Amino acid sequence: MKLIEALELVRQDVSDGASPFRVSLVCSFTPAHLQTFLHAYLRHELPTSSIAITPGLYGDFWGTLARVENESPDAAVLLLEWSDLDPRLGLRSLGLWTPAALDEILINAKARLRQLAETLQRLTAAGVPAAVSFPTLPLPPISYTPTWRASSFELAMRSELAGAVLRVAQLRNVGVVNAQRLEQLSPLAHRFDIKSELASGFPYKLPHASTLASLVARLVQPPPPKKGLITDLDDTLWSGILGEVGADGVSWDLEHHSFMHAAYQKMLHALSEAGVLLGVASKNDAALANVALSRGDMILPRKVVFPVEAHWGPKSESVGKILKAWNIGADAVVFIDDSPMELAEVQAAYPQVTCLPFPKDDPHAIAELLSTLRDLFGKSFLSEEDAIRRDSILQAQSFVEETAGHGEVSEEFLKAAEAEITLSFAKEPFDPRALELLNKTNQFNLNGRRYTEKEWLQLVHDPAAILLIVSYKDKYGPLGKIAVLAGRLTGRVLQVEAWVMSCRAFSRRIEHRCLEELFERFQLEEIVCDFTPTAKNGPTRDFLTDILGHKPASPSHLSRELFATNRRATFHQILELTNG
Amino acid sequence: MANVQGRLQRCFAAVFPSLTADEIAQASPQTVAAWDSVASVTLFAIVEEEFGLEIDVQDMKDLVSFKSLLNYLQRECGGAASS
Repeated sequence: MKLIEALELVRQDVSDGASPFRVSLVCSFTPAHLQTFLHAYLRHELPTSSIAITPGLYGDFWGTLARVENESPDAAVLLLEWSDLDPRLGLRSLGLWTPAALDEILINAKARLRQLAETLQRLTAAGVPAAVSFPTLPLPPISYTPTWRASSFELAMRSELAGAVLRVAQLRNVGVVNAQRLEQLSPLAHRFDIKSELASGFPYKLPHASTLASLVARLVQPPPPKKGLITDLDDTLWSGILGEVGADGVSWDLEHHSFMHAAYQKMLHALSEAGVLLGVASKNDAALANVALSRGDMILPRKVVFPVEAHWGPKSESVGKILKAWNIGADAVVFIDDSPMELAEVQAAYPQVTCLPFPKDDPHAIAELLSTLRDLFGKSFLSEEDAIRRDSILQAQSFVEETAGHGEVSEEFLKAAEAEITLSFAKEPFDPRALELLNKTNQFNLNGRRYTEKEWLQLVHDPAAILLIVSYKDKYGPLGKIAVLAGRLTGRVLQVEAWVMSCRAFSRRIEHRCLEELFERFQLEEIVCDFTPTAKNGPTRDFLTDILGHKPASPSHLSRELFATNRRATFHQILELTNG
Repeated sequence: MANVQGRLQRCFAAVFPSLTADEIAQASPQTVAAWDSVASVTLFAIVEEEFGLEIDVQDMKDLVSFKSLLNYLQRECGGAASS
């Protein structure tokens, strides 16, 4: 992004009712264009928010950082440079670069890095997410060695820094800019603007400021990771046309100059192990495709691919069937095919699907594709649910098949499922899975409201707040934590402000059991649901219509008597009840 | 030349969004209250980026109006300013 484009974007009107998003910018240089770029990129990531960035004082990184603890912003952005560890590491300082000073500089740097980690620990424990960039500019020629020789001072400094980066990156809710990615996008030699540093105290060349701001903005507001990947087979998952060369003729090895297909399979396997759903849409004979997919030397195991849509119909038809089996939105899915025509056909039918070409005979382009997939599916942490998602989709398929034709699972089937539910009312410790579920669930979502960690902690730490986290398993396997409900209790009335349930858990009457448990546990007379219709929460609306006996209002009142009349029978065994 | 003028006008509009086209043509620190040191730094950065050139620090002190910047750019870029 050019600076003029960033300024124009920043100056566009914010829509009425935009929620404020306050960012504290901690850096010791003049924030100038970096602040403009950061504002523009955050505006892009948070189009419905009114962004306000508060920088600190020039030359006062540590004082600004200390003040952030009191400001309690929605996010903190820390841009550390060498001179913040010791002013002598900056070009503008008159401090001497004598050999005798090096040990002292190292001691100062260690202390500052320790201070940084401790402050960030306190900050993030208070629910303020932080994005941190460690020194991006070159170290000045401070050591006595020639520049082509690594000095023990520089190596010791980088070692201390690496240790600090690791400590900080392991803190919950802290994101650290990936130095390798930054180097790819903004090479070290093209970052430092000495003229600007001396003239105005702004040390970055504009492209570097733009790149750094874009990475930081994504740390502050990561794009939601995609959930599923649909791949073509011929000349994509492997090299060769199955119908021409047969199952033994397709390849992904060095001998046939097709090794990048093996790299692609390796990436898909890794994504699958991280909870990404994998499906196949191929114009092929189904039996032949299955033989090839089941080859013993396939890097991508056959069992991780579901569904496999191999037939001669349109690819969009296959994509539609896979989306239905996964029960996720088209906007959460990536489709990869080597044929531009197939990509265009799917894109026309599903504009929200991210369609990517598999580059033909171009190892560099394929390597780029693998990086793109990491970006599209990348997460800041893996949960237990990621590990069981694939199996739970297969498990859910049993329920989908059971409902086919009559729209509802039979009571006999539910009774035989041997369902077990774990209800947790514990507010501590903070459960990142609950917030993740809340912020990515669309279909069974009471009102579509998204929460920052700070907002979420504020809600659940209210003494009147009730938090319910639900885990589920049955004889088909575990689904993990699949529902979260939060509200405030006033006397014998519960006002539910947030309620989500994973689509994998539909048709099991878990929502009925949640209400039943709440009515009984708190002896409620009424549950008030803060329902708001959204473009996607039809299943919530349908459930409320069913239980209320009429279309839900905003808010919707459900009395104990009405619930007793309209509730469905449940057959879950409550395994464990943890108290709040 | 008209291209240089139009692009410079866009730069001024980005830095001073409240100015009309006529006001931009007459703009200087004397006529624009918002033209402070921060605005100067931003304006020079945008102009350098937009025209793909580096303005010498010594020249900057004389480039304190739309007209002087336009003359400078027409001199530096001629009719074929980079885009």
